[in-house]
Amino acid sequence: MTRSDSDDKSVLLVHAYLDGELDPANALGVAQQIGKEPALALEAERIKALQQSIYRQLPREETPPGLRARIEKSVGGSRRESVWPSWRALAASIALTAIVSSSSTWFMVGAQQQPTLIADAIVSDHIRALMAPAPVDVISTDRHTVKPWFNGRITSAPRVVDLAKDDFTLIGGRVDVIARTPVSTLVYRRAKHLISLTAMPAESRFELDKSARTVSGYNVVRWVENGVSYWAVSDLEAKQLEDFARLFRTSKTEL
Amino acid sequence: MTVTPLQTKTRPIEAESPPMRLVASDASDAFRGLDDNARFRSIVMPHIDEAYRLAAWLTGNRTDAEDVVQDASIRAFRAIRNYAGGSARSWVLSIVRNTAYSWLRKNRPATVVTVEDLEAVELEQADPGDRDGDNAEAALIAKADAEQLRAAIAALPPAFRETLVLRDIEGLDYREIAQATEVPIGTVMSRLARARHRLIATIKSEQ
Repeated sequence: MTRSDSDDKSVLLVHAYLDGELDPANALGVAQQIGKEPALALEAERIKALQQSIYRQLPREETPPGLRARIEKSVGGSRRESVWPSWRALAASIALTAIVSSSSTWFMVGAQQQPTLIADAIVSDHIRALMAPAPVDVISTDRHTVKPWFNGRITSAPRVVDLAKDDFTLIGGRVDVIARTPVSTLVYRRAKHLISLTAMPAESRFELDKSARTVSGYNVVRWVENGVSYWAVSDLEAKQLEDFARLFRTSKTEL
Repeated sequence: MTVTPLQTKTRPIEAESPPMRLVASDASDAFRGLDDNARFRSIVMPHIDEAYRLAAWLTGNRTDAEDVVQDASIRAFRAIRNYAGGSARSWVLSIVRNTAYSWLRKNRPATVVTVEDLEAVELEQADPGDRDGDNAEAALIAKADAEQLRAAIAALPPAFRETLVLRDIEGLDYREIAQATEVPIGTVMSRLARARHRLIATIKSEQ
């Protein structure tokens, strides 16, 4: 076979079609062509088989624990070389580093060789969710839909409560990965603000202060309840986030 | 009420959910008032996982990948004010791959294949794209094991490898890959097709 085969426009379009890159009109055209030409149908089968193999056999590798912390450290070290020196920013970041590093002694995950900053990971997941096409993997305002969705994805489905009457609307849930463990995160909305509420098994090594804190400008409220550790992250004001936490804690589960 | 799995390209709750402030097309809006550290945390930190995996595929080594990502992070931090909107992931990954290639040139000069070399290789080698075969072939491809796939991907020339990894492992769309690898979309398409054809040929030849 010759080099021109990979450059053949119809072959490239089959790839683009299977990658979801074509608009509806072009997708229709390519689908019809695949139906008519056995060679293109074969190409499509091969690509799909390859994608399946890759998807099944090569799971995305975990980032080594400690890499994020080292990056934060090395970036902190290069701050002086920033083209925008600002004493205020410098002071703020030193303060932040102090908070994070003093927290790090608390947020240690015993099973890991490297300490993991749970709060940092949770805030990162929240930021990532805000940047993703959608902040949730399952969309539903119905807790009877959200809770079962977690079955089979994580070992224990989270407690899901309806706080709509208090203006905290459930919009769905997603699975986050904290310290290599998949955990449930519920997403609630208050006006224009999203709240990520992550639940994970509480272990004695997770026990720490219950006060609100700020990480990267996001407020974080944490509490432990029935052996489960809850983390709420949002850009809501700290007081409103505390209200949310109180309402969640005091509402009865009806599932 | 039924569960609605999300399609990546649709945003069914857009109307209800808050605006995606962090991916606003005008970066100056999204990041106005943030200091460099806050920008770095919003733009770069969410993509460390992809950065690490791309670096691992390019260097072929986890330890080297960590060095590259750390180095790339420092570069990204220094250039953080240059981020002008668009896909933050592409922006971060383009810095990672440039860092990886200069790292390889410096530390593993023998492994680096330049784009010019690549085009030459392309002209010499017959493309494994094949119009013959049957459905048994697809079944065979589907049975490839992890080691076989990993080795076949590692053996791809870097430009093909990065394109395939970004699409079939990381799930970037063509536009993002074009931005990250700094080539036109047409080049992404032909590299992707060639990368896939080569993998398929390698798998077939080993069965």
